[in-house]
Amino acid sequence: MTVLGNAKLRSAADLKHMQEELRARHTPSAKCVRVCTGPGCAAKGSPRLYELFCEAVERTGADVEIEAKSVGCHGLCECGPIVLIQPGNIFYQKVEEPDVAEIFRETILGDRVVEKLLYENPATGQKAVTPEEITFYKVQKRIALAGNGLIDPTNIGDYIAEGGYIALAKVLSSMTPEEVISEVEAAGLRGRGGGGFPTARKWRSCREADGSPKYVICNGDEGDPGAFMDRAIMEGNPHAVIEGMIIGAYAIGSEQGYIYVRNEYPLSVERLKLAIEQARELGVLGEKILGSSFSFDIRINRGGGAFVCGESTALMASLEGRPGEPRAKYIHTVESGLHGRPTNLNNVETWANVPAIVNHGGEWFSSIGTEKSKGTKVFCLVGKVVNTGLVEVPMGITLRRIVEEIGGGIAGGKRFKAVQTGGPSGGCIPAEHLDARVDFDELTKLGSMMGSGGMIVMDEDTCMVRVAKYFTNFLQKESCGKCTPCREGLSQMLYILERVTKGEGEVGDVEELEGLADLLGGTALCALGKTAANPIVSTIRYFRDEYDAHIKEKRCPAKECRGLFRYEIDSEACTACGICLKNCPADAITGEKKVPHVINQEKCTLCGMCWEKCPFTAVLKV
Amino acid sequence: MRKGKPVPTVTIDGCKVEVENGETILDAAKKAGVWIPTLCYHPAVSSDASCRICMVELDRGDWRQLVTACNYPVRRDIVVYVSSEGAQQARRGVMELLLARAPESQELKALAERMGVKETHYPKVTESQRNCILCGLCVQVCEEIIGQAAIGYAGRGVDRTVAAPFRQPSEDCIGCGACAAICPVGTIKVRIHEDEQEVEISPFKSRAKLLICEECGAPIISMQVSEQALGKVEVNCEEFRERVRLCPKCRRSQTAGRLKAAKFCKKES
Repeated sequence: MTVLGNAKLRSAADLKHMQEELRARHTPSAKCVRVCTGPGCAAKGSPRLYELFCEAVERTGADVEIEAKSVGCHGLCECGPIVLIQPGNIFYQKVEEPDVAEIFRETILGDRVVEKLLYENPATGQKAVTPEEITFYKVQKRIALAGNGLIDPTNIGDYIAEGGYIALAKVLSSMTPEEVISEVEAAGLRGRGGGGFPTARKWRSCREADGSPKYVICNGDEGDPGAFMDRAIMEGNPHAVIEGMIIGAYAIGSEQGYIYVRNEYPLSVERLKLAIEQARELGVLGEKILGSSFSFDIRINRGGGAFVCGESTALMASLEGRPGEPRAKYIHTVESGLHGRPTNLNNVETWANVPAIVNHGGEWFSSIGTEKSKGTKVFCLVGKVVNTGLVEVPMGITLRRIVEEIGGGIAGGKRFKAVQTGGPSGGCIPAEHLDARVDFDELTKLGSMMGSGGMIVMDEDTCMVRVAKYFTNFLQKESCGKCTPCREGLSQMLYILERVTKGEGEVGDVEELEGLADLLGGTALCALGKTAANPIVSTIRYFRDEYDAHIKEKRCPAKECRGLFRYEIDSEACTACGICLKNCPADAITGEKKVPHVINQEKCTLCGMCWEKCPFTAVLKV
Repeated sequence: MRKGKPVPTVTIDGCKVEVENGETILDAAKKAGVWIPTLCYHPAVSSDASCRICMVELDRGDWRQLVTACNYPVRRDIVVYVSSEGAQQARRGVMELLLARAPESQELKALAERMGVKETHYPKVTESQRNCILCGLCVQVCEEIIGQAAIGYAGRGVDRTVAAPFRQPSEDCIGCGACAAICPVGTIKVRIHEDEQEVEISPFKSRAKLLICEECGAPIISMQVSEQALGKVEVNCEEFRERVRLCPKCRRSQTAGRLKAAKFCKKES
């Protein structure tokens, strides 16, 4: 849908006028179907649902005002595909193709709620009609994700109708660059990419640095396993990022910006491209923005898939067309970054917070959160929780509330063991620290970090040594290989962990790992290497007993490491059905009818087939 | 920045020296006569700080930060510890990792010994290129000084190697041997194939034709190096060009012959 005439906006007043006109078009009774086409829902077939709704809208004719929208990630990916209906803000979950006709007939045309598609609280069995009634959403506070699930990311008019680009208009018409920086400073905004560096300080250093041109970069090279925060924003609300960047560029004094997106996010690239084109057409990006003397343009660069390119200096090297390898940061990038010029790099989520800060004021933003960590943080809640998905919480919330209230606790009635925050360079936080608050400094104190917002929940069946091995393996594969400690040290650590998980560990291995971790932390070139040992250090710190069990007793307490446990059949639970016997590829199981089966340990190859197949859970890991 | 201010000082293990703004800790250490081991550093090329063997401790007030001496720019008065326990431990740790990677290099062993590292207790777990420590000096010298960029990095992380494109012999290699000369661990070698009148740069297998002495037939230098060198000097003297086609030995004897004819001295041999 095109918005208004293609006339360029020449002033802030033009923009306000456009916004009013767009809002006036929608009567409160206007009907709207919002279909989430974020990655989670899309994987479950939501784009097809959207098409079906569009077809249904077309068939209805012009007498009823209905609009179908494809919107960005709504958050509760576990229950996707998600469909929201206006008016009433009715929340339907797990919608399938046959439900479309029913929703259309009952809810849209008949104003009745389709009970079976409502979210049901698993504990109380109570149905929720709107998202506000669902604990998952109730505990959240959305700033960066405010537009997600609400606006059509392919339509700039939608963004403007919801108050988009008003912050930019305010900045250009009534604020000096220094005032913008002060506002961000008052907000206490810190970098959401992992480091948590004060954004305003970075902007000011870049503004004051000698040299021109100055560059502004948006880091969208999200690569942590299980993380999709930035992707959700880029795909669900690309204009928020663009608006943030324009405001930042104005504050810093830059005329050229880059968005570095990983190529594995084709939809992000597409949405950002479209958003940039629309913004240019409307005159909020490009030459003389909104009739002011300020010009700024953005280019998109696609990353080639290296995890290390999320590191600022590697990213800049990649932008320059060189291999994505980090360099020493003794001279900061705000002084000498891209092409040796002052460069300000911020993460997607950081940029997306900027318009809200300008609109509502720094004081409002800093009223949320803890003393040193202000505002909200987006997390990708994944792993063994009931409700996996995208969440945005105020800083200072306890990990327990995220896991238990938003996440709905551990799936399958298992016991919580640890939560891994901060991506591969983060650490595992055990149950005894679940009441820790989400705060840059507090998480660091616990040996983990905020990181960009991955949050992986693990239950009692997770072997922490294997977790450490998994992340070390990931980082070893993603190490660029430039500096010795990272390239050689990670390989050495991985070698030790592989031995330990195979039952070949020796006394002293833990100390060896700790020594290497120290070396890496002190001598590696970039942040990837310096923090690479965090998963190992934090698991040793909190789960030393598991390492000892592997090394000294050759036993894996979580029974995940093959070879460090064995399968046995519980003779009381065994009904002698013969399923395990038939499925055993090694002919290691013997038994007859009505006689409990037995596993011949000498023949058993520990493939786990019997354990998987037994319908009576009579096969046990011991 | 900070123009017109007095030059910054560096206090290295208690010895105070003045440096130009922007000079590195390593420069300062040289002035102070303090030895810091280096591998990937060479004054002829830009500093990459990839080997991490030159770690020193920088005083940050209530804590000490490990920094690489070869590329840390001094822009204010700083206090640095080279022989502190922390700095030595870091350097030795890095050296042990390197020894595990390149156990056969005599040059590396000698440096290790000088640093007080007798042997490594790590097993050899990475071997994408025999005895190469991936310091990158060869790559840099080829690009920055020779201007050929015949070699570069192939692979990533543990698979990183120095190689010519597609790991094939390079057509851009002029056989100058600068990479072999700068290699701090003696991994790159220049091999002369007299039969084929070619020079080979090992392990890249790149070959270049040799210029052969017109007098005695001994190989002198790679033809392309000779041509490039001649292109860089402005000598309009045919005699000079002719003499370049002789090996140093024949050139000397030719000169000696001419001198003899000139009769500068009485002594005859």
